[in-house]
Amino acid sequence: MNSEPLLHVKLNADYAGKPVLRDLHLELARGEVLGLVGGSGAGKSTLVLSLLGLLPWRGGSLSGEVMLEGENLLMLSERKLRALRGRRIALIPQSPMSALNPAISLQKHFDEAWRAHEKHAPAVLAARVQQLLAEMQLPTDAEFLRRRPAQISVGQAQRVLIALALLHRPALIIADEPTSALDPVTQTQIVDLLRRLNRTHGMTLLYVSHDLVSVLQLSDRIAVLHAGTIAESLPVDRLAEARQEATLSLLRALPAPPEILLSFRKPSVRGVHEEPQFQNC
Amino acid sequence: MKLKCAAACVLAMLILVAAVIVAAPGASYANQDRESLLAPASTRHPAGTDALGRDRLVRVSAALLLSLAGSVAASAVTTAAAAGVGALAAFGPATVGWTAMLLCDVFLALPWLFLLMMVRSALPLTTSPANSAAITFLVLAALGWPACARAVYRGALSLKTTEWMLYARAGGLRGGQIVRSVIPNLVPLLLPQFLISIPAFVMAEANLGALGLGVGEPLPSWGGMLLELDNSAMLFDTRWVYFPVALLVIVLLLLEAVAGEA
Repeated sequence: MNSEPLLHVKLNADYAGKPVLRDLHLELARGEVLGLVGGSGAGKSTLVLSLLGLLPWRGGSLSGEVMLEGENLLMLSERKLRALRGRRIALIPQSPMSALNPAISLQKHFDEAWRAHEKHAPAVLAARVQQLLAEMQLPTDAEFLRRRPAQISVGQAQRVLIALALLHRPALIIADEPTSALDPVTQTQIVDLLRRLNRTHGMTLLYVSHDLVSVLQLSDRIAVLHAGTIAESLPVDRLAEARQEATLSLLRALPAPPEILLSFRKPSVRGVHEEPQFQNC
Repeated sequence: MKLKCAAACVLAMLILVAAVIVAAPGASYANQDRESLLAPASTRHPAGTDALGRDRLVRVSAALLLSLAGSVAASAVTTAAAAGVGALAAFGPATVGWTAMLLCDVFLALPWLFLLMMVRSALPLTTSPANSAAITFLVLAALGWPACARAVYRGALSLKTTEWMLYARAGGLRGGQIVRSVIPNLVPLLLPQFLISIPAFVMAEANLGALGLGVGEPLPSWGGMLLELDNSAMLFDTRWVYFPVALLVIVLLLLEAVAGEA
């Protein structure tokens, strides 16, 4: 049972008859961090929406299968899909500021996300929120939770969104370019945070990004999305074996050879002593 | 901004003064002073009395309070209805949205002053004064929502495609939760709608009253008081009373318009 991948995707997607994803194959093992890289327009966002069953909301259609723990999500009714979103698959969105409802407080965000899937007493939620905020290195006081999204920094907003994604302890987290709206220092902090969550909780992560540097900091394996299909998929320590042009051009665009970038990678969370941290930009 | 504050203050003072006059001991809008019918201004009746010997100052003040309270309530009902219909139309199935907007168009196309007159005149003559007041404002509220509902529908539709809405769906929020989370975002749209409906309703009630279809006697209403104007001989005798009433209507509408500007 455990040898079965957590996620197995075989997918075609199109918008108004125009194919965006063609015969896309993807597998994700439990506890793995898969870095999905690709340029703009390669179909990254379409893939993210497809996995969550949200493509119809943006006017697209899907065929194929998305197997999560042996269950085909494309065959589920919208009702069942809703019950699964946020509980078994969670999303960390791209632009933290526009992903939070500007008119309601952070506390209300947690309340609504909790009520979508749980009926337990608010005390359980309060304890869980405190635990998550502490883990995200966010203020845990009531004053912070009373704030509106416009009253916190972008970095804090991204941490809040990660906390919201973790709320129901999902089996899979999809991070859709979670660092693209952040400054380099905050980017590094968020990547560190995601790595720690993977190491300590065994969280399975699909890390979607166009930034190969942060992908190399975090992922066990990378998959290169090119023109709507996976051009190549390799473990990060075997990048030298890359043969596809899409992969090679991405590697050529790196500021330093991948072996050097990988040598700066933090080995595990338990070795918390700070090593020299590579930063792009 | 300063003008807005000043207008709100003057409006509040006007209401306060009216409340003091109405609440003064011995003052009642229905009290008749049979010794002095249609009397000019005096120390006992600063603004004179009407044909039934009732103090005009008390009646004008009571009418101000009644008209404002009724209009505020009607406006609240209208705004709430518009928010409900607009949100339902935007987030419900396409057919629901289509039907709701068609209904709005039909309502907007109605010659609503005639409709108001029809509805009011269809009510029995024995309707109690309090009921007639309630019904007048209820009818106003029932006819006032469609324009606002259209605005809410447009606003909600534009929110429907926002990032946070997609993210809320990604978090598995239920349909009801999503609609509820939209409402606070519509406040900047709903508040002006609420505020501009108030003077419109004050005006509509005065118009209806002047036609004899508004708030029933002995309850005072500005429209009802202006009804006496159809007797031109009386108008000539007492123009110094009606001029202030007309002025007060203008001032009130102006103040509300300025204070309500968002």
